[in-house]
Amino acid sequence: MSKKKLCTPLSTFMRTSLTSPSDRFTKISSSQIKFSTFASPSPPPLALYNPTFHKLGQYFLGDLGFCGKSICSKAAEKLELRCWNCHSVPESLPFLFCESCRSIQPVDKSVNYFDIFGSEKKYDIEDKNLEGKYKEWQKKLHPDLVHSKSKMERDFAAEQSSRVIDAYRTLKKPLLRAIYLLKLEGVEVDEEQTVSDPELLAEIMEIREAVEEADGSEALKRILSQMQDKLKHLSDSFDNAFQSRSFEEAKTTIQRMTYYERVIEEVVKKL
Amino acid sequence: MAEPAYTVASDSETTGEEKSSSTFPEIAIGVDIGTSQCSVAVWNGSQVELLKNTRNQKMMKSYVTFKDDIPSGGISSLLSHDHEMLSGSTIFNMKRLIGRVDTDPVVHASKNLPFLVQTLDIGVRPFIAALVNNVWRSTTPEEVLAIFLVELRAMAEAQLKRPIRNVVLTIPVSFSRFQLTRIERACAMAGLRVLRLMPEPTAIALLYGQQQQQTSHENMGSGSEKIALIFNMGAGYADVAVTATAGGVSQIKALAGNTIGGEDLLQNMMRYLLPESESLFESHGVKEIESMALLRVATQDAIRKLSSETSVQVDVDLGNGLKICKVVGRNEFEQVNRKVFEKCESLIIQCLQDAKVEVEDVNDVIIVGGCSFIPKVKNIVSSIFKGKQLYEGMNPLEAAVRGAAVEGAVASGISDPFGNLDLLTIQATPLAIGIQADGKSFVPVIPRNTTIPARKDLVFTTIHDNQREALIIVYEGEGDKVEENHLLGYFKIMGIPAAPKGVPEINVCMDIDAGNVLRVLAGVVMPGSRQPANRVMEVRMPTVDDGHGWCAEALHRAYGSTLDMVTVQKKA
Repeated sequence: MSKKKLCTPLSTFMRTSLTSPSDRFTKISSSQIKFSTFASPSPPPLALYNPTFHKLGQYFLGDLGFCGKSICSKAAEKLELRCWNCHSVPESLPFLFCESCRSIQPVDKSVNYFDIFGSEKKYDIEDKNLEGKYKEWQKKLHPDLVHSKSKMERDFAAEQSSRVIDAYRTLKKPLLRAIYLLKLEGVEVDEEQTVSDPELLAEIMEIREAVEEADGSEALKRILSQMQDKLKHLSDSFDNAFQSRSFEEAKTTIQRMTYYERVIEEVVKKL
Repeated sequence: MAEPAYTVASDSETTGEEKSSSTFPEIAIGVDIGTSQCSVAVWNGSQVELLKNTRNQKMMKSYVTFKDDIPSGGISSLLSHDHEMLSGSTIFNMKRLIGRVDTDPVVHASKNLPFLVQTLDIGVRPFIAALVNNVWRSTTPEEVLAIFLVELRAMAEAQLKRPIRNVVLTIPVSFSRFQLTRIERACAMAGLRVLRLMPEPTAIALLYGQQQQQTSHENMGSGSEKIALIFNMGAGYADVAVTATAGGVSQIKALAGNTIGGEDLLQNMMRYLLPESESLFESHGVKEIESMALLRVATQDAIRKLSSETSVQVDVDLGNGLKICKVVGRNEFEQVNRKVFEKCESLIIQCLQDAKVEVEDVNDVIIVGGCSFIPKVKNIVSSIFKGKQLYEGMNPLEAAVRGAAVEGAVASGISDPFGNLDLLTIQATPLAIGIQADGKSFVPVIPRNTTIPARKDLVFTTIHDNQREALIIVYEGEGDKVEENHLLGYFKIMGIPAAPKGVPEINVCMDIDAGNVLRVLAGVVMPGSRQPANRVMEVRMPTVDDGHGWCAEALHRAYGSTLDMVTVQKKA
């Protein structure tokens, strides 16, 4: 059973409460429909594409259907950007929040997670300030802070805020970041897909056994540091593959990373 | 929702004043109803101020006494002595009893309180009664709490000279969503609107965030991120939070909580001093209640003294020829309560692990709550943090209510010219929410410590060929088996197209919005189709009401495994 079939989003059929504040927003919504034909194979496979009710799951890395969006001229679109409330032109990009009237803007899917964090679209990002930036955004966008505002703006707050949460989670974790990068390039990674490399499988089996048999935290810690070394190595090869745009190789690297990542999880659970 | 029977007289004034409140937003008050003590605070325009009752007390005892026809609570009542409070006519520990069924161990542990807690052990609400004119008059924890809140509201209105409608209440981390609905109900009965229910340590995290913000303003620094661990242990509950704060924004990284508190320490000690106490007091006669009260008061005093002294003399005549004359050492107290203290330790360690924070990364360790005065509690925390100096600058008994008052001002949209309310707490879910699948397993859809707002999906499938219906049974908690968790509700997915087992995809989606409202959605999609086979169902949870303990059993009896589901993907 292919998981690609599992992508029909529930939220598409849900009540939506948003009214479009501008033509621009409507345009995004309609273009979004087209995007939902993209399959999302990452678990859990239920993708939520509906831009008017958009809250993504932690493990779900999607909302990446918009990789097709890169065809659109981003720059051209940004030129028309105006605040839905006071109509002023954004002071800075990405435009999630209007600095002049302090109102929250509707979600614009052409803004990707890297844009939100003002980072270059690359694997090796300086992640030390992610949390700071994340908090800065939340202070402007969090639904708790807009109690007195209109229902529409409260909805914008809910969507923007949860999108920033997802962006933060995705960029913080190297594996999630890698998958996201590939998706932005239009490459889908099926984490569940089994790797057919017998060597890797044998190695993973062996490690799993070692984890099972490990007595005491010393042995576990040793395995953990081994795994982290492997992951670091793979992480570097992903970066290289991605930079040289060898996406197939990058994809296989991600699948390998997933295996080690799971072993690490198991070890941490046992520790 | 509002039950007119419990609204106070000023309710009519409120409706008259509603219009003006739109231009001048009403500042919500912060309320901390503890298992044993309660306090109220409000943002007065420049800082938090604790309200005092007519006897000039900031800390009031949480209880309601039923006498003749007029109940009176710990805010206004003039009970001269603890013994009077323990005469059988007073109900306390509401916070421990609320929203629990009669199979709950916490309810069973309440049976030796000096009022009536009766259980039938079938999963319905326990029978609770106060002795009025020699008759056991029944009541409910919600009712007792509502009466108490009415008094509290009247006190606040008298002092602030304005009607009070909006409140921010602190709640224990381990409260289930069902228990939250009981708290909301009690508030509605008292004519109060709940603006926010804040897990206690997150209220303290907010206060910490404010203090850090003020310090960084003073130092003209940008205010780098600070990580704090908060341990809050009161009479009824112990809670832990790990918070990361920067620039006034506090992200709750993890929460952990349990039903252990001073009440357990007290009961263990009472059992130690008088091993046969439980059977002696079981009959709940007037004499027995009196003896029980005497023992309770004497034990309480002893525990309090043991915080500053290494041994204490317990000398009490319980009547009926029962006398206790014993020297109790601090080490005995610690030994008797070893399990409670071990639990405290494991809660803190679990919370640090969940937050993925190392002991060395914690900038500040905050311990608050009534039990924070106990040397052993301090020792446990200090040994986990390798002797690190504990955070000062927070009143252990007032921290939670102060945080609630700050949240009350922030949530009411009040701004402060000095930026003292320029704050935000990003909450996380304290308990996992999931459904029954793969037999009697609890499969979490939203794991614990997920940042709110959150939305997650999982896919399930049928276990029988041509299974046309499936039961979605929603639970909240941490246990692997459904029985170990709190039932939140259930509904049936119908009209699944005939297909071999394992083919229909049953999407279960859970959504928690910023207001902490949980919605569960479910729909069936057949492979190859992009449309759901039937209308998607959306259910706001919890839906269960009283007697939720036996609902799950009844469902199982009626349907067996005919409507069961299994997960499609093994979770990584």
